[in-house]
Amino acid sequence: MIGRAPRWPIVILGIVAVIWVIPIIGIVMTSIRPLAETSRGWWRIDSFTLTLSAWERVWETWPLAPAFVTTAVLAVIATVGTMLLTPAAAYAFHFLRFPFRRLLLIIIINAFVLPQQVVIIPLFQLWRDLGLIDNFLAVLIPYVGLSFAWSIFLVKNFLEDFPAEVVEASRIDGARPLQTFWHIVLPNSLAPVFATGILQFLWTWNALLLPLLYLRTNVPLPVILARINGTYELNWDMQSVAAIITTVVPLLVFLVFQRQFAAGAETRSGAKD
Amino acid sequence: MQESVARQAAGSRSDVSPKSRGERLFAAGWRTRDWPAAWLLLAPVLVLFGIAVVFPLVDTIRLSFFDTRGLSKPKFIGLGNYVKLFTDPAFRDTLVTTLIFTLSTTIVSVGIGWMLAMLSAFAPRQTLPFRVMIFAAFGISEAVAGYMWIGILRPDAGGLLNAVIGIFQPGFAQPWLGDPRTALGAVIVAAAWGGVGLPLMLCFASVQAIPKSLFEAAYIDGASHWQVLRSIMMPLSLPGVRVAVFINLLGALRAFDIIYILTGGGPVRSTETVGYFMYRESMTQFKLGYGAAATVVLLVAVLIVSVPAIIQRTAGAR
Repeated sequence: MIGRAPRWPIVILGIVAVIWVIPIIGIVMTSIRPLAETSRGWWRIDSFTLTLSAWERVWETWPLAPAFVTTAVLAVIATVGTMLLTPAAAYAFHFLRFPFRRLLLIIIINAFVLPQQVVIIPLFQLWRDLGLIDNFLAVLIPYVGLSFAWSIFLVKNFLEDFPAEVVEASRIDGARPLQTFWHIVLPNSLAPVFATGILQFLWTWNALLLPLLYLRTNVPLPVILARINGTYELNWDMQSVAAIITTVVPLLVFLVFQRQFAAGAETRSGAKD
Repeated sequence: MQESVARQAAGSRSDVSPKSRGERLFAAGWRTRDWPAAWLLLAPVLVLFGIAVVFPLVDTIRLSFFDTRGLSKPKFIGLGNYVKLFTDPAFRDTLVTTLIFTLSTTIVSVGIGWMLAMLSAFAPRQTLPFRVMIFAAFGISEAVAGYMWIGILRPDAGGLLNAVIGIFQPGFAQPWLGDPRTALGAVIVAAAWGGVGLPLMLCFASVQAIPKSLFEAAYIDGASHWQVLRSIMMPLSLPGVRVAVFINLLGALRAFDIIYILTGGGPVRSTETVGYFMYRESMTQFKLGYGAAATVVLLVAVLIVSVPAIIQRTAGAR
């Protein structure tokens, strides 16, 4: 920032950063070395053997491949659902006038403070009564429904900078509200819709609590990881592989899109307006 | 980019106040004709939001006034669940645990994130890879982060923490997660590990937003780096800190995943926060009404923390 940047902040940050990745290095090392070596500590290097044995055996031991598919299906459907419905609602709230508009808006955008714990008991009873336990809808509905609390705020925020003149002009040219949304507003709001999608994808991929309670047979990766973790078997090598598989997709998405993520998370939490 | 195009087309935003825009659209004849389109666009959102948010919220509050144990019909017991909660020593311990966990996680995460943000502002470009490394921990889900920390907090000498202490004290083996005296601290460390990334980014953005001329002037006047850090960076990055504190408080209050993976609330409920207590009572003990009452307590705590944010959002909702 200034011509004479001191060296010590760089050194301190470097040390902290190295400490910060130690847990990540830990599971990678545990996953690629034989258990006999790592059971006394993955950081020991008195003997070092590289093996992919755990990476091969893990697929037969636990249903990671179907869980990966389940996770991807759930995350993609929930993400697409949020990305389609959010801009429609944000457009209606911002450009259209209808009864109870402001009341509904205030209720929705303040719901972001609600913790997930509020949802679980009533929805558990509802899904049980409807026979939806173990049905993907049991998690997809709350995934998408809960997302509106932050996603609509995020997209509507963007629309406040959207030129009202353009919307007016389309109206004068005879476009109906729905046509204006589809041809004018939506194509020009892809950036916030995309940011919303990234946040939703990460959140649904990593979700543990809702699928833990509402799904039984086809469960996503975090639930598998939690189950494995509860077994107390000495198979840290395969557990580490499972942990890596669980986190690799969201971690990559996160690192590639971290800018959108930081901006989105800020808006999501009500910090920005 | 689309945003900038849109802005150019609109000229500056300030001359289009929301009210006059609404009036103009109204004058152009778009008001009652809006209704069908608006309800059509909103219908799926309102239905899903109703099922996933409004119904559970109302129903949780309703259930908290009922005794739901056993197979008999739920019985209305007024404030019975709440009376029981606050006379239950386990719940009182849970409240203390929640307070310690929430405050410690937030202070540690935001404290470290803020310090690192200011340090990296001295050399933003050279420290970028380090910031990404620290931020990456935030991109790892709590479940996986918890699993990673189990490897470090292992009770035997194969755990990294025990091994490091073992250098000075051979044979050291502390069951960090299995000892009620250290378990909460261990969970806090693991949660804070992932929690530093966002404060770091938010505070860094705040420091970056400080006008460069202030730093130039300070250095010309002979200020030391330490003085710049203390008198310019610290006070002027407070907006970012405030946001980070709020986000981390909310996140810590609703914590579940990391506690579930690391300790399951144990040993002897020493790591059980209110957000975990409600899960245990309702989903493993099937005391739904009792769990609902605990959820309402959690909700009150969340609302207290969120009052400024809610006021801000409600005032800004146009």
